[in-house]
Amino acid sequence: MTGADLAAVYPEIVVTAVAMIVLVADAILDRRRAAFALPIITIAGLIVALAAVFYVVPAAQYFRGFVTIDAFTSFFRAVFIILAIFAAAVSPAYLARRGVPAGEYYAIICFSTVGAMTIALSSDLITLFIGLETMTIPIYVLAGIQRTDRFANEAAIKYFLLGAFSSALLLYGFVWLYGVTKATDFVTIANLLAAQGIANGPTIVALAQTNTKRMLAYSSIAHTGYILAAVAAASAGPSATAAVLFYVFAYGLMNLGAFACLLYFDLEGTRGASLEELNGFGRRQPLGALAFAIFLVSLTGIPPTIGFVAKFVVIQPVLDAGLAWLAVVIALNAVLAAFYYLRVVVHMYMYEADEKLPRLVTGRGLSVSLGIASFAVILFGILPNSIYQWALEAAQPLVR
Amino acid sequence: MTNVLSLLVVIPIAGLIPLFFFRRDERAAKQVAITTTLVELVVSLWMLTQFQPGEAGFQLVERLDWLPSLGISYLVGVDGISVLLVPMTTLLTFISVLYSSGGAIKTRIVEYMTAFLLLEVGMVGVFIALDLFLFYIFFELMLVPMYLIIGIWGGPRRIYATLKFVIFTLAGSLLMLVGIVAVYIASADASGSRTLSLPELIELRNRFPADFQFWVFLAFALAFAIKMPMVPFHTWLPDAHVEAPTAGSIVLAGVLLKAGGYGFLRFGLPLFPLGVQAWLPVLIVLSVIAILYGAIVSAVQKDLKKLVAYSSVAHMGFVTLGIFVLNLQGGVGAVLQMLNHGFVTGALFLFVGIQYEKTHRRMIADLGGLANMWPLFTAFFGVFVLASLGLPGLNGFVGEFLVLLGTFAFSGAPPLGGLFWGPLAAIGVILAAVYLLWMFQRVMYGPVREAYRALPDLSRLEVACALPLLLLTVLLGVLPQPFIAYIEPSLDRVIRLATDPSFIVVASK
Repeated sequence: MTGADLAAVYPEIVVTAVAMIVLVADAILDRRRAAFALPIITIAGLIVALAAVFYVVPAAQYFRGFVTIDAFTSFFRAVFIILAIFAAAVSPAYLARRGVPAGEYYAIICFSTVGAMTIALSSDLITLFIGLETMTIPIYVLAGIQRTDRFANEAAIKYFLLGAFSSALLLYGFVWLYGVTKATDFVTIANLLAAQGIANGPTIVALAQTNTKRMLAYSSIAHTGYILAAVAAASAGPSATAAVLFYVFAYGLMNLGAFACLLYFDLEGTRGASLEELNGFGRRQPLGALAFAIFLVSLTGIPPTIGFVAKFVVIQPVLDAGLAWLAVVIALNAVLAAFYYLRVVVHMYMYEADEKLPRLVTGRGLSVSLGIASFAVILFGILPNSIYQWALEAAQPLVR
Repeated sequence: MTNVLSLLVVIPIAGLIPLFFFRRDERAAKQVAITTTLVELVVSLWMLTQFQPGEAGFQLVERLDWLPSLGISYLVGVDGISVLLVPMTTLLTFISVLYSSGGAIKTRIVEYMTAFLLLEVGMVGVFIALDLFLFYIFFELMLVPMYLIIGIWGGPRRIYATLKFVIFTLAGSLLMLVGIVAVYIASADASGSRTLSLPELIELRNRFPADFQFWVFLAFALAFAIKMPMVPFHTWLPDAHVEAPTAGSIVLAGVLLKAGGYGFLRFGLPLFPLGVQAWLPVLIVLSVIAILYGAIVSAVQKDLKKLVAYSSVAHMGFVTLGIFVLNLQGGVGAVLQMLNHGFVTGALFLFVGIQYEKTHRRMIADLGGLANMWPLFTAFFGVFVLASLGLPGLNGFVGEFLVLLGTFAFSGAPPLGGLFWGPLAAIGVILAAVYLLWMFQRVMYGPVREAYRALPDLSRLEVACALPLLLLTVLLGVLPQPFIAYIEPSLDRVIRLATDPSFIVVASK
């Protein structure tokens, strides 16, 4: 291990350090101060980590080939850190209400982010597996962090069993690959498989995508379907991988935003917002409703939002690969999606609020985060070039 | 100045900024919206003066690199087909906003005006975009504001109506998106660079093989046919119109439906001549069915607003018929008919709305004798009804006459020629006279009802809204030649592109 190796993983080191600092600060500060200081420490630390992503390290392999740094890595590191910042910014009020220990919560977010980033920079099955576990184990804890909530406990156990099971299967697949190729690094495996006449590009892309699928495991299957459609179109070349990357970025932004909007409704005694609770939201919280509507329109894929551009860049490689039927299915599926996304808008704007509705929860952190995220959804919808360019560059090294 | 088209896109967006800051002040919001749409109208008329009639190509073209990594640019321009539709759009939007601010809309004024300004961006953009990607964005941008306008400020069944409108429209436009991407991929040259710019695509359309054109034209045609709407995709229209607020109906009928016909002329005909030929029989039969079916269904409507809505189906049938007979008279007639329908049906919806505001009744059976109390209303409404049924001297006649002329001259391959379809379509004109005059008689004449005796005639604001439409209706009817002079050269080019697959125009830009 050399200095260059360490410099290559600065962002991961910073995020890990942030998690540690949060834990220590949590132990030192009293409860009220901690609730105030911890999110600030976390966000500040993550911004430093984001800056470190752009600290340019020559694109190469590090740690004797266990780690690859290139545009692809940077793209995903940045995506993960931005999503973590967003999650940290919208959480404080929620944590206070639900009595969730703040120190553990922010530390878990950071640790999980490090895991996700490790997946992005892995160029070896072993690094990949370590990253995967580092990412998922904190999430099991997160699912059960409300120790007194029966539902949360049930969810955590289910998630853990399912996660452990799929990890074991994945590990079995790794062993099989090792058995065939006697190697654990991607390049050797890809070359050997290609030499044996087994499809090369898709295998590696599919492996690399395992993480994205899991990242999106809790999200709607339709969107994962779009990403898989782009994966299926891998024969179209770099534009397919770029589409996957672009879609992941767009989807992360708009889906997290949409979920965060539900925080307005999170009160003791309710579990997630029912559609009736959204009635009249447009009048009760005009700007919050506007942000929510923007996220939903984007999820539907209507311009001028990033969701539309994402759909466009996915359809392109799909048609390029000659899968016209798949493109038509994507289009028709989007019509179905429009129905359920726009129903939410109907409830927000077109029904009047019931008298008995619970009070809304507001918080400055939430409003500011939603404002930034919804602005980004539109801005990148109108000017997507920089993101797509980045995704396209990031896609190059994958298709060797 | 050559940036006038971009200015037209920017002005309504700029209007959103003061609207945001005055979001608690309804009076100020109304003034901002009226001012913005008025400025937009003035700029669009100024744009008209910058345009040189008599040239076929695109003018006032602006181009900016937008998505260089995908080869997509911001490309706008107008030709004779679109140059008149833009001022029509801005005029109808201005009238809608003006009328709405007079008390027709009582709740959430600020949101309402925001929706209208956004809608205007989409509507103007559709008619000036020359890049398919940009066109698609504007095409869809019209959707969300209209969805909100119907869904929030509409009638009792507004939610059903607005979801139906959105789902129908999206189903078409998403298939068109697949078609657009297919065109994009097929446009690749030897070096692999691709484009969605219309002038470039027209030059290289010989790369599109016949079966490709067959399917891709179908994808485009479905989107436009739903938007128009053509029979059998029209079922969303009566629901949307009946539930929409008055101003929503005006722009829906006046502008949004035109996006379909315009799309056929701008993209369908020039890009896919072989696809057009393949689908021609179907399209002509559907157009004639729309003319006859729309008229017959209008005749039996009990609801005044629904009657006007179904009459739109018949009028749009004339537009598509004029387009697909693929000759100059038919095409010019179709474009004129689009303009006429914008002014006349926009006005009819305005008057149905004014009438409803006063009587709170829309069922024809509940009305009657209005002429005795409202001389001014009767005079205006009467002129628009006569224009709608195609009385010579008013604008409706010119468009329908040219379309019929073109239809008779049509000598296409489909089972029967123009001499069969022409008389059938002409029956539609007679039917229009039947249902419109019958409606006018039942609503305006007969004994005065006591309940309506004290109701006032048109207010000054209502006259101000209707007067420009009346003037244009008469002007276009008496003096159509200047308008035709704008349309003809560009339309001639489009028809040649559509009828001669080997005809290539080297675009000016």
